[in-house]
Amino acid sequence: MPPAPKKRRRTPRQLLRGVRRRVRRVAGRARRVFWRSLQLRVVTSTMVISIVVVAVLGVFLMQQIIRTTLETRESAAKSEAQADRNAVLGYLSQPAAEAAKQAAEPGQALQPVGSSPLSQATEALARRAGSASRYSVIIRNETLPGAFYGTTDIDPVSIPPRQREELFKKEAGEDSTWYTPLYYKGQPEQPVPGMIIGTRLDSSYEIYHLIPLDKEEQTLASVQQMIILVGAGLVLLLAVISSLVTRQVVTPVRLARQAAERLAAGRLDERLKVRGEDDLARLAASFNEMAANLALKIHQLEELSQVQRQFVSDVSHELRTPLTTVRMAADLLFDAREDFDPMAARSAELMQNQLNRFEAMLADLLEISRYDAGAADLDVDSVDVRDVVLRAVADSEALAERHSTRFDLRLPGEPCMAEMDSRRVERILRNLLFNAIEHGEGRDIVVSVAADRDAVAVAVRDHGVGLRAGEENLVFDRFWRADPSRARTIGGTGLGLAISREDAILHGGWLQAWGSHGEGSQFRLSLPRVAGAVLRGSPLPLVPPEVEMRRTWRGHMTPVLSPAAADGGRDAD
Amino acid sequence: MRTRAGSTGRTGGARRRPEPVGSATRTVGGRARRRPEPVGGAARTGVRGGRYAALRGGARNAGTVILAIALVYAVSACSVIPTGGKSVVAVDNERKGNPLGDPYARVIAMPPKAGWSPEEVVTGFRAAMASLDDPAFQVAREYLTGDFAAKWNPRSGVTVYRQGTYEKFAPPRDEDKQAQVTLKGSKTAIIDQDGRYRPSGGTLNQAFTLAKDANGEWRISAAPDGLLLSEADVARGYLPVDLYFLDSQWKGLVVDQVRVPIDPAANFAKTTVERLIRGPSSSLKDAVRTAFTGTELIDVTIENNRVVVDLTRRVDSDLIDPMSAQLAATLAALTKGGWGFEVTVNGESYYPDASLQIDAQEHSNFDPWTTPDAVYPFYLAGGALQLLDKENVGRSVPGRAGQKGVGTHPAISGQPVQQVAVLSGDGRSVSVAPLAAGGEWRDWSTGVSLAPPAWDRYHTLWTVDRPNDHASVITRHDGDNKHRYRVSAPDLETLYVKSLKVARDGVHVAVIVKDGLGEQVQVGTVIGERENTRVTNLQTVVNADGNRTIKDIAWKDGKTLYALTGKSELLEASVSAEPKSLPFDSRIESITALDSTLLAGARDEQGARQVLFWNSTRWESLVKNETGTTDFTEDGPAFPAFPLS
Repeated sequence: MPPAPKKRRRTPRQLLRGVRRRVRRVAGRARRVFWRSLQLRVVTSTMVISIVVVAVLGVFLMQQIIRTTLETRESAAKSEAQADRNAVLGYLSQPAAEAAKQAAEPGQALQPVGSSPLSQATEALARRAGSASRYSVIIRNETLPGAFYGTTDIDPVSIPPRQREELFKKEAGEDSTWYTPLYYKGQPEQPVPGMIIGTRLDSSYEIYHLIPLDKEEQTLASVQQMIILVGAGLVLLLAVISSLVTRQVVTPVRLARQAAERLAAGRLDERLKVRGEDDLARLAASFNEMAANLALKIHQLEELSQVQRQFVSDVSHELRTPLTTVRMAADLLFDAREDFDPMAARSAELMQNQLNRFEAMLADLLEISRYDAGAADLDVDSVDVRDVVLRAVADSEALAERHSTRFDLRLPGEPCMAEMDSRRVERILRNLLFNAIEHGEGRDIVVSVAADRDAVAVAVRDHGVGLRAGEENLVFDRFWRADPSRARTIGGTGLGLAISREDAILHGGWLQAWGSHGEGSQFRLSLPRVAGAVLRGSPLPLVPPEVEMRRTWRGHMTPVLSPAAADGGRDAD
Repeated sequence: MRTRAGSTGRTGGARRRPEPVGSATRTVGGRARRRPEPVGGAARTGVRGGRYAALRGGARNAGTVILAIALVYAVSACSVIPTGGKSVVAVDNERKGNPLGDPYARVIAMPPKAGWSPEEVVTGFRAAMASLDDPAFQVAREYLTGDFAAKWNPRSGVTVYRQGTYEKFAPPRDEDKQAQVTLKGSKTAIIDQDGRYRPSGGTLNQAFTLAKDANGEWRISAAPDGLLLSEADVARGYLPVDLYFLDSQWKGLVVDQVRVPIDPAANFAKTTVERLIRGPSSSLKDAVRTAFTGTELIDVTIENNRVVVDLTRRVDSDLIDPMSAQLAATLAALTKGGWGFEVTVNGESYYPDASLQIDAQEHSNFDPWTTPDAVYPFYLAGGALQLLDKENVGRSVPGRAGQKGVGTHPAISGQPVQQVAVLSGDGRSVSVAPLAAGGEWRDWSTGVSLAPPAWDRYHTLWTVDRPNDHASVITRHDGDNKHRYRVSAPDLETLYVKSLKVARDGVHVAVIVKDGLGEQVQVGTVIGERENTRVTNLQTVVNADGNRTIKDIAWKDGKTLYALTGKSELLEASVSAEPKSLPFDSRIESITALDSTLLAGARDEQGARQVLFWNSTRWESLVKNETGTTDFTEDGPAFPAFPLS
């Protein structure tokens, strides 16, 4: 197939796909609404059932009315046809001379001289029938020339040939009634629904009475319209009634749900109003009881946790004083280690190291207990993130050199100002960098900074072992380690990332981790430019671009994956 | 109100609320009203509750009653139709015509059947000719041989016959290739292409030649052009219609009597108006005008008790009144004066902002002569002209004409300048006098032998001089006799014109002529004015009948005239029908008529005179004398004359 038409054909297909997607979305939304609303479901099922019932009843009623109306008309028409037949028989049986004599009488001047009995009969029938809206008559005798008469404007094509056949099969004098459209001269396009009663006289005379039923049809149509209207009204009424009734049941349930939601959101003093003594009131009462119990339990637990935190904080504090003394003694020992024998010197060094760690751990514990107590507050200032990053990198330089790790800084050219507590952010970055150095296995560490209108972001990427699936959130847990058998080489306290996370949250920002086994990991810190603003997206992807690209390239063969990956990369965009 | 005031007073909140003065007083009133009650609020609530309970109980009772009634209705299943009370449906009981036509019977053409004898084929052909369903006569042509079907022209007029029978022949033998069937009867009329129905006499002896076609069936190979219909066929299939056109001055309505074939696809009114728009028949072609020029009919329907005529185009704005009059007059026979009209153009109203509504009697407003009323006859009594008043008592007219010494055969002109013209006793002069105080006689015309004078609606006087028995000179004098114009009438100039009367429409003219055959009445049309006046299209309406003389003629309206014969006959004649005899009083010597009023001057054996009046069953004396009786008297009333008679 040539490419040009293919290209042209794509647009409508895309359009179609767009439409289909939209329809599906709307249908999905409707389905969600339907399954979420009890009231809607009850109303819908009431409506469906009442529509079925009303439709069945309406059809039955309508058929009954139609049958009755037509039967009445038919019997009236038949008796008229019978009378007309007798009149025609009278005309035909009287001798021609007598007919002529009768016609010649002055009183009968209407009847022209010399007309045939058949035409006289037709004229009499025409006068009896009145206007064509009552009925029309056609008389014919196929065997006699010129014996074919009709009244007013009826078109003889109205008589179906099959009715004639039936008429000739039947005995003379027997009626044959057909419902068929009637045609009138001058309106060949507008047949009128009607009924034809055909009779054959003893000879081969055929008499047809053509009765238009348009008035009956109008009546029936208006009756039908009424029935439909009334039915629709009834269905609507039932729907409204069921809606009202369900509403009475659903409203307390909905209130209970809302209260439960609020309760779940932590507002433990939420209670329902208890009105009356019915089932719903009892539900509300038990709900309230449950809420009270929960509140009590939660309160107790909170108190317990508070006590624990207080204990940790107190212990840290209390440990500090003896530690200072120990520290002073240890410093003395450490300074004088050259005079000791090697064993003792090594011990002094070890003690010094572990004391440092102990001190850092105590500091971290105090810090984190401050967060737990909610005592941490920000010292916000507008700073350039690049400076903060550079400072943190400078602090980590020594450690990096020791691990023979190089930093790869990717900073934007223009300043990235943001309101933040630079001390805390620096601490976060330092933590991230230490972490990267620790797990980077000596490979390069990429630090990228980016900013957009609302937010700034810093990403620290290492190429170490990375994280296993599901570990992205565990890394921020207190004292969590990737491999419990591995020793802490740098001497992290195990609280660094937890504190960093708390710091980021304190800023209203995000600290997220991405890792993939064998591909290293990346930590991204995103902060709003203005303190207190809500963060909606990050200027940097969580998944490193090269990994993303590789995945996309691979996903070329499995395209289903690519949008999901892209979505993951842009998270809350 | 009371409960509201009470509640406002009772609730503390309402009292604390800053209230307008009016409601404050109401509160006071409420409190004042409450004070006499001895018990406290609780008791009152009890009372209130009791009242509510009673109310609720009442509602329940009412509900039960309603339910019971509904149940009774539902179970009894009768009384669907109310058995008491009066119907509110009003049906128009007024006697009205039916513009769309009354029911009628019609012949439906049927093609020939195999095995028919020649006579049956001819009968079938006659029936097919009478069929209205088939304007192209497709079915009728099936009765003809192929060659003849192509030649046969059904549109060259209709011959109407009476009592057609077939001449008896021996039935054709099988080997015959040809056969002949002869239809015998008497011819009664012909209908020409314009639809004019002209009575005619003569015998019908029409031969049809038949030949066998390829299938061995008899088919007609020779027959006359045009249709051959029995009287019954014509009565059944042709609608007699009076079309109304306008005279040359757009003032008067002129009738044109035609027959139109009934079209089953259209109603009578549509057929009629269609024919009206097609224009007048040839006899009136140059004499009349029509307001319908350049427009065509779409349909005629009935809406809101009106006959709605839908045209394709509007007529000239100054022709709207004439058009309305034409429509109203033409359809009056169908509507019997009971329906108004409306003209629309392409289904929209005639004027951009209003519809064109036409009154049912529009034509009599337009031309008062179509249905004149309050017109009283003049007559001569004792040689003086008298005007009959409401009480049937004569009164002398002002001026010289009201005095003795008037001639005979007075003719009265129309309004507004009323004049009388009389023929002198010796027939040598015609004198005219205005019917006003001081009106003197003046001789307008003198001649060898003058016929009685006649006025037309344009105030011109028509006189006929007969220099000899084979020449007549018709002259038209205008209103003050300043001009006289010789009327060109080639058909009459060589004949003896005994009398000439112009109809009130100003177009039809009736003459009594005497030729070799005898005296006969002819009707013609006046074309042109002044020196261009012509009388043409003369047509005999009362045939010459041996020695029968015709003593007087008088126009009833634009289409019918009365003729008084010397054989004591009074005939009602028109161009479209055979003369009809009316009951006669042998004393009648002159007649005059106006619409439905027929008067006659009569003289009994003693020579006493009186004016007779036809009351549609018999003749009665009309003029009362001083004593209030209506006897015949010497020098009594004679020569009654309506204006423009």
